[in-house]
Amino acid sequence: MPDSTSDARPSGPADLDYRGVRRLTGVEEWIWYLVAGISYITLGIWHKWLLNWFVGPVWLIAIVVIGPWFTDRLRLTGRSEHEGPDDR
Amino acid sequence: MSWAAHQFEIYAVQAHLPKKMLGKVSFWAIFLGDFTPDFLSKFWVYGFTFNGTRYGADVPHQWHRGWPGMGFTHTLFFGIIVTALFWLWKRNRAFTVGYLLGFAAHALTDINDSVGTMLLFPITALNWTSETWAYAATVDGGKYLDAAAYYSSLGLAMDVFWLVVVLIGWRVLTRDYWRVNIVPADARVWAFFARFLPERGLIALYRATFFYGICRLISWSAWTRIVAKPTIDGIERRGFPIDLSWTGPWWLDARSLPHVNPWLSFPVALALLGLVYWVLIKLWDPMGRAEARRRSRARTVNGTHEESGAHDSA
Repeated sequence: MPDSTSDARPSGPADLDYRGVRRLTGVEEWIWYLVAGISYITLGIWHKWLLNWFVGPVWLIAIVVIGPWFTDRLRLTGRSEHEGPDDR
Repeated sequence: MSWAAHQFEIYAVQAHLPKKMLGKVSFWAIFLGDFTPDFLSKFWVYGFTFNGTRYGADVPHQWHRGWPGMGFTHTLFFGIIVTALFWLWKRNRAFTVGYLLGFAAHALTDINDSVGTMLLFPITALNWTSETWAYAATVDGGKYLDAAAYYSSLGLAMDVFWLVVVLIGWRVLTRDYWRVNIVPADARVWAFFARFLPERGLIALYRATFFYGICRLISWSAWTRIVAKPTIDGIERRGFPIDLSWTGPWWLDARSLPHVNPWLSFPVALALLGLVYWVLIKLWDPMGRAEARRRSRARTVNGTHEESGAHDSA
C-alpha cells in the first residue's frame, strides 16, 4: 500500500535514496501502484498465464521502478530521475 | 485449497507478531514458510500436458493433502521438522521463528476446504476439515475449474477475510514499517536486493505478494463471474453461478478424504495455532541466547584462524 504519510516530509536530499534515485511519495506513489494493479488485473483476466507468483511481483516492481524513470526521461513530471525537487 | 488468502496471511502474521518479536522476525522466512507446502506438492496437482500426454496426479486431492501422497507437506509435523533442521543448521532465530509461523498459517488455513489437512499427522492420517467450501482441483477441470469453484463459494469470503485482516493492520504495508521492522530482521537479504534495485523497488518487492494476492483475487473473480462460459447441467451460462452455502458451490462434487468430525476442526486448529505461538514465545529468549553463543564461537574461531593465517604469512 503506498505511503501517504511521507507527503509531509520536506523535499530535498531526503527524496533521493542510496542510489540517488528519487523516492515515490503520496499521490504519485498511489498512481504507479494503481497503474500496475489495473494493467495486471485487466491483462490477467484474459491471459491467465500472467497470474503467478513470479510475474505478479516482477510486474509491480518493473512498473514502480521503470515507470517514473521513463516519465522523468520524457519530462512529463518536470523532474529528473537523479535529482530531488529542489534541484530542478 | 486457498488462493489469495495465502498471500494475505503473510502480512497478517507479520502484523500480529508478539510485541517482543516485532522487528526481529524474518519476513522472507514467513513468506518461505507459507510458500513451502504448495511449492512441494502443487505442481503435480494440476499437472501439465506435453506432446499430447498429461503428466500429473491421477487423484489430485489425494496427492495434495492425503497419505499416501504429499499431504504431509501440509502438516505441522513436517513444518516443525524443516524448521528444526533450519535451526540446527544456522541457529538463526529470526528465520526459524518466521518460517514456522508462515508454515503454520498455510497448513491451518487449508483446513477450510472439503479435503482439509492432516493436522495431527503422523499420529493419525485422518484429515481435518471444516468443509467450508469445495476442494475442486480435478484432472479434467485443472486450475480453471478450481478457481471458478473457489471464487464462486465461501472461498471468496476467505480471501476477503484475510484481506480485511491485513487492511486492519494496514501499517504493515507502509514505508516506515518496512524500514523499521522488516529491513533490520533481514538486513542481508535487503542489502543483496539493494544492489540491483532503488528503494522504491525494494518497497515494491516487499508489497509484491500483497499486490499479487489482490490482483489474482480480482482477476479470477472477474473471469469466474463475467468471462467464463461454463455448461452446467446442459445449460450454457455466462459466468459460474455463485453459491455461498456451506461446502458450495452446488454445481460441483466436493472432493473429500477420510476425516474427523468437521465440528472439531476449528477448535483444534485454533488450539494448535495458539500452541505454536505459545511455544515460540517460550523459546524466543533461549533461542536468542543460543544464537548469540554460536555467533560468539564463530567470531572466536574466525579470530583464531585470522591470527594463525597472519603467523603463517609472517
